[in-house]
Amino acid sequence: MSIKEKVPVTILTGFLGSGKTTLLNRILSEEHGKRIAVIENEYGEVGIDQGLVINADEEVFEMSNGCICCTVRGDLIRVLGNLMKRRDKFDYVLVETTGLADPGPVAQTFFMDEEISSEFTLDGIVTLVDAAHIDQQLGRSDESSEQVAFADVLVLNKTDLVSDDALDTLESRLRDMNRMTRIIRAENAKVPIETVLNLSAFDLDQILKRRPTFLEPEYPFEWTGVYDLDAGKYELMLEEGPDPEMSLVALANQGESEEELKDGAESSVRLYAEKANSLDPGNTIPYGEHINLKLEDKGNKSFILNIEKPTKIGLFTQHTAEEFNMKVIKSYENKEIPFNTERFWQAEHEHDDEVSSIAIERFGDVDPEKLNTWMGRLLSEKGVDIFRTKGFISYSGNPRRIVFQGVHMLFTAQPDKEWGNEPRRNQLVFIGRNLNEKEMQEGFDKCLI
Amino acid sequence: MPDIEPFSPRGMFHEGWTAKVNDYAIACGWALKGKQFIVGDVAGGLFAFEGDTGKIIWKKENTHSGGLLAMAIHPEGEIFATSGQDGNVQIFNCDEGKVIKTLDLGKGWVEHLKWSNDGLFLAIASSKKVYVFNEVGEEKWISEDHPSTVSAITWSNKNELATACYGRVTFFDIVNNKTNQKLEWQGSLVSMELSPDGDIVACGSQDNSVHFWRRSTGMDAEMTGYPGKPSHLSFDDSGKLLATSGSERITVWSFIGNGPEGTMPGELCHHTEPISSLAFSNKGMLVASGSRDGSVVASFLKKDGNGDPVGAAFAGDLVGAISWRPDDCALAAVNAKGVVNVWKFKVRTNLFSKGFK
Repeated sequence: MSIKEKVPVTILTGFLGSGKTTLLNRILSEEHGKRIAVIENEYGEVGIDQGLVINADEEVFEMSNGCICCTVRGDLIRVLGNLMKRRDKFDYVLVETTGLADPGPVAQTFFMDEEISSEFTLDGIVTLVDAAHIDQQLGRSDESSEQVAFADVLVLNKTDLVSDDALDTLESRLRDMNRMTRIIRAENAKVPIETVLNLSAFDLDQILKRRPTFLEPEYPFEWTGVYDLDAGKYELMLEEGPDPEMSLVALANQGESEEELKDGAESSVRLYAEKANSLDPGNTIPYGEHINLKLEDKGNKSFILNIEKPTKIGLFTQHTAEEFNMKVIKSYENKEIPFNTERFWQAEHEHDDEVSSIAIERFGDVDPEKLNTWMGRLLSEKGVDIFRTKGFISYSGNPRRIVFQGVHMLFTAQPDKEWGNEPRRNQLVFIGRNLNEKEMQEGFDKCLI
Repeated sequence: MPDIEPFSPRGMFHEGWTAKVNDYAIACGWALKGKQFIVGDVAGGLFAFEGDTGKIIWKKENTHSGGLLAMAIHPEGEIFATSGQDGNVQIFNCDEGKVIKTLDLGKGWVEHLKWSNDGLFLAIASSKKVYVFNEVGEEKWISEDHPSTVSAITWSNKNELATACYGRVTFFDIVNNKTNQKLEWQGSLVSMELSPDGDIVACGSQDNSVHFWRRSTGMDAEMTGYPGKPSHLSFDDSGKLLATSGSERITVWSFIGNGPEGTMPGELCHHTEPISSLAFSNKGMLVASGSRDGSVVASFLKKDGNGDPVGAAFAGDLVGAISWRPDDCALAAVNAKGVVNVWKFKVRTNLFSKGFK
């Protein structure tokens, strides 16, 4: 038998009225050289003008073991099972689900059914959101938050009906729920076709390329500057800024590599968890302590940094240096010492929705067996609440990185490209409901070698 | 040496004929008592070949717009029925391929067709409904909506039809329009076979298991541990062996004695890729299997379900369907490239075996 490419499948979800059929017709009418077969669960009033459209009622099949993670979509198995005999007639499949569809069983179908997974590959889940109504829908139904959680691409549609401010707020709410997703604003479902088809959305590389910081955890500080200082007395000068105070941790011997910066950040997170000591201007900043600079006074304020022998000092500050025009000045010489390195961090903020994303990023190797046991337990206990999982893992002794992706309890792990000179590390993202970030990070840390 | 075993039967596929149809071949069968071989391809092409030589007798194209889904040859072999995505069923005569009757069942796909053993009725499944027509295409019975799309139908006796769907198997007396029995089980049933006496109901389920019911005793059992969903099931003509497959392996359950519950099934591991078609010979304990890898194997089984291959051939590509000639002296396989292979089949045993000549 010849080796065949698997046919990519895009799932189109979204509430009734969010513009799915409009988008579908737009995709089908555009010149893109693809022959697309459409499986339509929702028969809207707007017809679809194309040859290969198959109507099928949504049939959700639960298994006798009662596990929702094994639930599949019978209609898709049936229709795709037939379509795979007609491979010469199309090269792409689009599935338009009903507004109330749970994307879980749809995605699981591509993992659970061997016949389907041997011929088709889930390219991505595109969720349309009606910008004017999604806020209410998210409060009212689980389906809409699940559709957001599962999305590789969120098309924020009907933006013409909503103010820019409201859109920004909405976008950040959606981003909190699903940090992996790409958000596209649109009027009348007008989006470039390449943003919804051929996403290889399950590929984490693609996401990292678009948004390199998305895996990052959130920190109680926004900025770090590393200063290379000789022995002597220095002043930390701040002008007036947005806040009458600012938290800060100063660390001695702070390295400048990404790994060292993250180590410093981890230490600072622990220090930030302790109660801050207030420090008035003119006083000396202690090292390795959480302090709160008092900045109520008008004009410039300065704090003292004492350096006994040459070292690199890392300042982990609640706000960015720019906001206070913060400078390090060598006393007596009145010379500004610029930072050697700066690093911005994803700032912490409140999460309102139950659905959220958790990211774990760790350097080093993991023990495959320990990881398997941990993942197995995690997914069997929390699989119902974990919608999507994606990531790379560095298995000890394996020259290739392991890519894995999952839907609820199901996950696959496959060797990917070789690590080469890249530092070996692990990057994992979970999107789910009521996830305990700390517990999951600790669990993962135990798998590290 | 008291325990000399008779030597295993030897058999082989002998050269027969090959032919080609236009598209992926999904259905085939013997008509006119083996004088004719009919093939249906996924695009709706129908082709009739001379059974012995492979010479084309007639062909039809685009019989169902959207494509063909099922074909069933009448037990007498004079007529056959086809169905497709267009929601139609057509009844043809085998001689010339002329349409005798077209039945329009609406919009849904018509996925399953089964003639009753005496050939008086044709059962048709389309979406959630099942219809029964007589030989001349008159409607005799329609079911209510099933809870889901009907996934399999088969006749348990001349007036009783079994249907499978998500969560249940139902037996309908289609003459008196009543429901005789409902066997319920939460699972998506993807295939169904009945033993020839109609007592044992076997269903393959999406959760990679086979579920059995014995109608006479009401006992049921679940056989788990399949690597894939058991889409392919076949009973031998005595109803003692059930061959099942959801992967490259064939698992054979023996109903002899107290089995199959608590017994070890027979296993046949002759293919490298999952089975795509499976059929017992019309008589005797020979099972033929076709695989996605293009291989076709005939195995001779013992009472415990184990057995040995007695012949093998390569069909070139994924085997879409296989069919034993009514006298079991030829085996046909059609593949995903539209190639038709017919092999003469002979088995020699030291004893004159019942079932094949």
